[in-house]
Amino acid sequence: MIIDVHAHWGPWFFTMDVAEVNLAVMDRYGIDLAVVSATEAVIYDAPSGNRALAPVLEGTARLYGYVTVNPRRLADAERDLREYLPTGRFVGAKIHTDYTRSPVTSPQMREALAMLAELGCPALVHTWDASVLDLAQVCLDLPGLRAIAGHMGATGWRHAIEAARACDRLYLEPCWSHAPAGRFAEVAAAVDARQLLFGTDATLIDPASAFGAVAAAGLTGETAERVAWRNAADLFGLEIPPGHGSPSAPPER
Amino acid sequence: MTAFDAEGLIGDLTVTLDVDVLVGAYPDRDGPPGTPAEVCETLARHRITAGAVAGLRAALFDVRSGNDEILALDRPDLLPVGAVDLRDPVGAGGELERLAGSGARAVRLFPDEQGVEADFPSVRHVARRATDLGLAILTGGDVRRFWRPFAGLGARVVFLDTHFYHLGDFLVTAADEPGFHTSTRLLNSPDALETAAGHVGAERLLYGSRTPHYEPVVPLLRLATSGLTPGEVAGVAGGNARRLLGLEAQS
Repeated sequence: MIIDVHAHWGPWFFTMDVAEVNLAVMDRYGIDLAVVSATEAVIYDAPSGNRALAPVLEGTARLYGYVTVNPRRLADAERDLREYLPTGRFVGAKIHTDYTRSPVTSPQMREALAMLAELGCPALVHTWDASVLDLAQVCLDLPGLRAIAGHMGATGWRHAIEAARACDRLYLEPCWSHAPAGRFAEVAAAVDARQLLFGTDATLIDPASAFGAVAAAGLTGETAERVAWRNAADLFGLEIPPGHGSPSAPPER
Repeated sequence: MTAFDAEGLIGDLTVTLDVDVLVGAYPDRDGPPGTPAEVCETLARHRITAGAVAGLRAALFDVRSGNDEILALDRPDLLPVGAVDLRDPVGAGGELERLAGSGARAVRLFPDEQGVEADFPSVRHVARRATDLGLAILTGGDVRRFWRPFAGLGARVVFLDTHFYHLGDFLVTAADEPGFHTSTRLLNSPDALETAAGHVGAERLLYGSRTPHYEPVVPLLRLATSGLTPGEVAGVAGGNARRLLGLEAQS
């Protein structure tokens, strides 16, 4: 059982043709469920992309959705969150700091994350290098916020370790097109296993990158299970098919 | 077994020549020591039977002694690749002649590590000299810029840092340059290998891992799960590199 907490649906502007391949790419690696954001929503127009994604989620049980939030358009975001979260097919919010030019430290980003904290909505936030530390600080400042540090800082995975150890409501997922040797093993050895998730960035990046990085870490037992799906099921309250156990009770920390 | 069963996905895929292997360590990074023994152990663990290996001593500090270390490696699983310092184009010319005379089949360029840009005269000079000497060129650097100094020379080049973001740029220049090839290390989008094979042929793709600094399993997984034919996969996994480096008769 594998749940991918960082995936996308829709076309990309690079030399690639992957708009229709979500399930096929998941099948390559035995990924059962993925939480996707619409590329249109992330890159260009959040409401339009969220609206396009909604019927797709109705058509398959294997994809859940992120409501993409543009911190510069908070009224739109609030409307979309109140419309789509109650459907149960959208289970979190996605914020890309670069495409919206809204660093984690910006006022609009803080306001967006405060809104998500109030709604009890998990937020996947793009992080790179030391910005993951900024996200940890916002988590500390907003007690209701549960945030996933997308890419776990990419080049800044050692910052991600520090960030996750500072706040137990900050989760890390490893996707990145680069795979420096030992990166995920180092993080897994230093961070509470309850804060580790699996994300791929598919269909931009093939799951080979994150899957290989996690496989190389040689996780075993409960830690491997937590990374593969259990933490994600807990965080998003996902229904898990029979045979995979039930989501665990939230840890008391 | 966990859900992350890479071996199960890779199956019996064997890489017969990895075009991107290093020995030595980067002084500015935490990371593996990169001893030949450690590198070979990593390759073997991933069923990579041979690697085209260059040395960071030559790339970062002293070309001659660094290359001597590489040329002295007497292991069937390591194919020596020389390096030159692009910061010293005059010395690089002499070192290329020495490498060619010693039987090296390829030279590796480290423009990023040496702070050299694609339009520096040094790169064009080394590209000409290496090609004239019959050496294949393995080069780092952004392919969107580093295609230019190798164009129009009939050079045999492997771009080691081609990212799938820049695949289109590689493809349009490779269409005009039959000697242009790319490592698959960063071609890890869901369809980059298949797209490249469809446009310029899978024979332009060479498995590269950058062992021991990158996870070899990532490009292995991508290749193993690709839509390439078994023959194309075998080519990417080493056949193409052996042809490029003139090793076919020995394999």
